[in-house]
Amino acid sequence: MYVIKTSNISPQNTHNGQFMQQTISYTGNKYSAIEPDYTAMIRPAQLRRMGKCIRMGTGSALPILQDEDKLDGIILGSSEGGLEDCIKFLIQIVDYNEGTLTPTNFVQSTPNALAGNLAIMSKNKSYNTTHVHRGLAFENALLDALLLFDEQKAETLLVGNVDEISEYNFNIETKADQYKKEEISSDELLNSQTSGTVCGEGSSMFLLSSKPTNAVAQIVDVSHICYPQKEEIIAFTNTFLSKNGLIPADIDSVIVGRNGDCKTDFWYDLVCDEMFKTQNLYSFKNLVGEYPTASAFATYFACNLVAGKKAPKASIIHECTVPKTILIYNHFKGEQHGLILVKQSQL
Amino acid sequence: MDIYVTGLGCISPLGFNVEENHLQLKTERDGLVKSKYLESKYKSEKFFGEVKMDTSSLLQKVNIPNKKGLTRTDALAFIAFDEAIHHAGLLKKDINDSSTAFISASTVGGMCLTDELYRDSNLHGKNSEYAQSYNCAAHTLRITKEYQLKGFTNTINTACSSSANAIMIGMKLIRTGRAKRAIVGGVDSLAKYTVNGFNALQILTDKKCTPFDVAREGLNLGEAAAYIVLEAEDVCIGKTKYAKILGAGNTNDAYHASAMSETADGVTACILEAIADSKISKEAINYINAHGTGTQNNDQVELTGFHNVFANIPPFSSTKSYTGHTLGAAGSLEAVYSILSIVNNEMYPSLRVTNAIPDCHKMLVMQYTNDIEINTVLSNSYGFGGNCTSLIFSDI
Repeated sequence: MYVIKTSNISPQNTHNGQFMQQTISYTGNKYSAIEPDYTAMIRPAQLRRMGKCIRMGTGSALPILQDEDKLDGIILGSSEGGLEDCIKFLIQIVDYNEGTLTPTNFVQSTPNALAGNLAIMSKNKSYNTTHVHRGLAFENALLDALLLFDEQKAETLLVGNVDEISEYNFNIETKADQYKKEEISSDELLNSQTSGTVCGEGSSMFLLSSKPTNAVAQIVDVSHICYPQKEEIIAFTNTFLSKNGLIPADIDSVIVGRNGDCKTDFWYDLVCDEMFKTQNLYSFKNLVGEYPTASAFATYFACNLVAGKKAPKASIIHECTVPKTILIYNHFKGEQHGLILVKQSQL
Repeated sequence: MDIYVTGLGCISPLGFNVEENHLQLKTERDGLVKSKYLESKYKSEKFFGEVKMDTSSLLQKVNIPNKKGLTRTDALAFIAFDEAIHHAGLLKKDINDSSTAFISASTVGGMCLTDELYRDSNLHGKNSEYAQSYNCAAHTLRITKEYQLKGFTNTINTACSSSANAIMIGMKLIRTGRAKRAIVGGVDSLAKYTVNGFNALQILTDKKCTPFDVAREGLNLGEAAAYIVLEAEDVCIGKTKYAKILGAGNTNDAYHASAMSETADGVTACILEAIADSKISKEAINYINAHGTGTQNNDQVELTGFHNVFANIPPFSSTKSYTGHTLGAAGSLEAVYSILSIVNNEMYPSLRVTNAIPDCHKMLVMQYTNDIEINTVLSNSYGFGGNCTSLIFSDI
């Protein structure tokens, strides 16, 4: 399937297209999204009612939806959905002792609220799903799209992700020891050699088509595995490549989800040392932080690279050639591992 | 290539396994009660489709060594999953094969622990064993880990159509050759969170629900888990087969976040798409397991959809009159019931209907019926956010 257009809101200047030229450094544990001025696209009354997740997702999707009158489906991946709304409703329950509550937060808190909202805003009555498989929610959204294209049930689809930093998921994940205890600069994050990572957020949206006309990139295939043994991950990656008629040498670039957590970054070394020693190697979580659907940002980044844009310095671990065939390898907490294969569209 | 249902598993207000569920369905006994185990001030005010066992006893039925962090949702999912794979006679090597997919669904996830979530999310108290248990995917990941599943895994949340979509995705993975086998379904447990959400929307009735009755006053919430095993023709040769999955439709009503359009656009398109996807004629459908929540809006709109699609509406009923609305589990629980209809040539009634909506009274099934042949069943699921999914099963 082919990427015709991308749209992105992230902790980098992606909403205005400046990201590849200039990156922003962060200090601390939260990399918050830089949100555009939404008032040009969303009515103020509507905007006020939107939680951050719905707002970012809508703001990221609308530039694509506005130009597209014939979409055969909306497919999203989100681990948490509107967690802020969820906890707001929870607080209502506790504070008012299950009294008379307002349902707005409840309705907005369901992870499918964004896809439903986008369907209403664009009057799109076609296929509509939301995948919430934590660290593989976006990979599953891509897989869903591949299935529709395989069966020729769709020609164009909106596929994307959203996950927000809320105080509450930050607290819950802090309890699970997900974040660094020390304050560290994003420039040092990947070499920190300490436990934990930093929290990010964002929404990437892709207009996908079954046809290559006007494409900026091709998403060839996607696969995933949970709780692999160390030796399994190599075999899994090899199987994925060979299923697509490739060997490791055919991959010229790898984007890895390295996040500076010394407990789990070894997976990337394992795969790259064994299979991709000489390839270009890029990172992205030092730019946008860690969140369950962060691989959507990596996909956006890969689309930009194969479209011929130069990688920003902060993302380059090792670079020796022009990226044309990119493998994205990302895992969430060392438990859920995903692969996404992106190619230059003319190849 | 045909895709067969080779195993069923469920736990619901009607019983702890498929056999107990089937017996209750046949004998027209609902599972709606004043709640015994829910921690909510509404527990004795409303009726609930509650699984008749406390959480720690349910967890004793889960056959894994480490049960730390497991919630009621997880317990229900493990029990139904285990029944389904045993019913299908899957071997360990089948389950561990990378061509076996596991697609689940949930809307509540670990939020059944509403009070614990409140504490953890506000950093009250010490470290909790549940920090990783709240997410909708927590049960899927725990099962994946314990059973060492290596193929595609996924969790869907499209509100009340979630597990119907899980079944659809499993079917598509097999159709396109990306999987040979898929264990598909979903789970939800009763939670203070959802009880208050639906109460705030004013769609809970104080009585037992009466789907498709003129005087219906709303829905009862329920809890359940249900999984079915789908297998490609070539990997289930010689095995007992219960039904075929023929096709699915998925649309969005694109009308309102928590209500459906009077014109039933989403419902109509969804049923038509499922019929087209199944490559059958409308007339082939013998029976509809309706979404039928018992709210004024849902039942009327669903009926409008039936009128839009069918010149002669087939017999239909809502088994939510037995179980209440089990949210993310409803699509797969009702898929199990639809398959039981096909296997046993039975229709399970909408209970307690005294005055059916006028234009549907002839086709609404109001008592247990077994003097008919059921070859093809349509099962509908609709959710907040406008999500509509229809599934079609047939005999083998």
